[in-house]
Amino acid sequence: MHELFQKIIALPWDQAPQWLFLIPAFVMLMGAAAAVMLRNLIHCALCLTLSFIALGVLFMALGAEFVGFVQLLVYVGAVAMLILFAILLTPAGEVAASNNPLRNFKFSRAFAAAGGATVALLVLVSLLGAIFFSPHARAVVPPAQAAIAPVKAIGENLLNHTLLPLQATAILLTAALIGAALLAKEEKKS
Amino acid sequence: MNFIDLLKRIPEICKTPETLPLEGKKLILDFVTWLGSLVGIAVPPWVLTLVNILVVIVAIIAVFLIMFALMSVWERKILARAQNRYGPNRVGPWGLFQPVADGIKMLTKEDIVPRNADKVVHFIAPIVMLVPALILPVLLPYGRGMVAIDLSVGILFFFAVGAGSEVAIFLAGWSSRNKYSILGAMRAIAQMISYELPLVMSAVIVALVAGTLSPTGIVEAQGGYQFGFFPNWFVFTPWGFVACVLFYFSALAESNRSPFDLPEGESELVAGHLTEYSGFKYALFFMAEYVGMFAINGLLVTLFLGGYQAPLPFLTFIPSWCWFFIKLAFLAFSLVWVRATMPRFRIDQMMQFAWKFMLPMSFAALFSAAAWHYAGRGLLGWGISAVLVAIPYFALGYFCFTRHHSADNRRYLFSE
Repeated sequence: MHELFQKIIALPWDQAPQWLFLIPAFVMLMGAAAAVMLRNLIHCALCLTLSFIALGVLFMALGAEFVGFVQLLVYVGAVAMLILFAILLTPAGEVAASNNPLRNFKFSRAFAAAGGATVALLVLVSLLGAIFFSPHARAVVPPAQAAIAPVKAIGENLLNHTLLPLQATAILLTAALIGAALLAKEEKKS
Repeated sequence: MNFIDLLKRIPEICKTPETLPLEGKKLILDFVTWLGSLVGIAVPPWVLTLVNILVVIVAIIAVFLIMFALMSVWERKILARAQNRYGPNRVGPWGLFQPVADGIKMLTKEDIVPRNADKVVHFIAPIVMLVPALILPVLLPYGRGMVAIDLSVGILFFFAVGAGSEVAIFLAGWSSRNKYSILGAMRAIAQMISYELPLVMSAVIVALVAGTLSPTGIVEAQGGYQFGFFPNWFVFTPWGFVACVLFYFSALAESNRSPFDLPEGESELVAGHLTEYSGFKYALFFMAEYVGMFAINGLLVTLFLGGYQAPLPFLTFIPSWCWFFIKLAFLAFSLVWVRATMPRFRIDQMMQFAWKFMLPMSFAALFSAAAWHYAGRGLLGWGISAVLVAIPYFALGYFCFTRHHSADNRRYLFSE
């Protein structure tokens, strides 16, 4: 008993943090799979949220704290709520099963599956291409430096090199906000 | 090392209250090493790291849950005083054991789940609510060198993790299959999203002036005294005062406390997203709300009230961690005071207040802080930044919140 205990103690436990990333990775994949497969739309959105959270945790595990927290803040705080609200506010059953024109088409399911698979394949190929053929992927950076980009550096980069895209995004978002407010303000006259 | 040595260290540690918590932690680690030597094992460093983490987690959770228990009885006492009655005084001395009685009551209550409810989500919601609330306190600096995780992006961490409670409220409201629940959840989320903007903006202002997102760095930036007695806290600058007040109100709204407790407005929505919860799940929501409230007020103390710094130089003999909790207790008292004083907002008033007053004011405070920063932080900076926050304040008050009465432009409100 005592020897067994000593053997367990002697295992390379200090290496364990290196493998801990497997937990959020697993949760993320399961969440994404469930988001695709579940029937209830709200459940799908919640699983997607779980996947977002796990992705944020993965970023943090890599030492990219800033990106991880922004991921949580934006995706869990805003995007997930947006999706949930969009599902709630869309009247369910507007496209009734009988009115669906694709329903009468014989191989609709097969075509849908083929289209989805094509899109997925294209995305996968382009991602793999980006990973393997981009100059950044080849660059050898010591992991400690690569991971911890100080917030100051990010901010300076954002306001010096990418100021114009930032401003353009800001204008676009403002326009979208005003448009949304206009759309929402229009009341149906009864 | 033997046990007697460890025991002898206890009175020594108690002699310097400033470092008491840190030394106590070291003592526990040495105790673990001693336990290992008792069994005949040299304790490997990873075990000590693990114990270190566990000690901190247990300490934080215990302190915040004890504070929650004390707060629940303290709040009722203060409310009772405000309403000229005694409040709970039956259980224990001055009713201090009331939380124990409440806890037993909550635990033994029947846990009812509506028949049509989404049972899994209904079960998960209180957990999703409580976990972020318990994670939040780890980033607050409680005293000199006393911070659980010294994150360089601590402020961002706070808002990122805090976003989880919105999801939890949605889960609770949606899974109950009750129209009052979902309406209450919608209101709560609308309120939290609206008030998150001024909340984050006022934190951004402090980060701008302090030049860091780390809570410890922000507290350190507020150290020292002007003229030898006047603390350098951010609340004592014009922009800081405005940002602090904005943060305080946003924090009230974020933690769904009166006068922003519309999501649970009993007279309109039964109990909002909590309608279908009973027993211990309800207690978990309650607990999450209070712990979240302590955490967000702890952040207010960190950002504006100088964190663990003493207010006057000769008061530094009181240990720094005491100052943090004294300030927190003061804020908690003020929250109850506000609750006893203010009636509940109407929903349109609340939204108007957020978007027409809080948000423009937070931008004004941002400009003012930038002016203060670049004008050299002296008297000139004071003057410019005071003018820069005063003009928007009076302009907003005049154009948005003063009703200019005349015979034909009188607008009838819904309630009339």
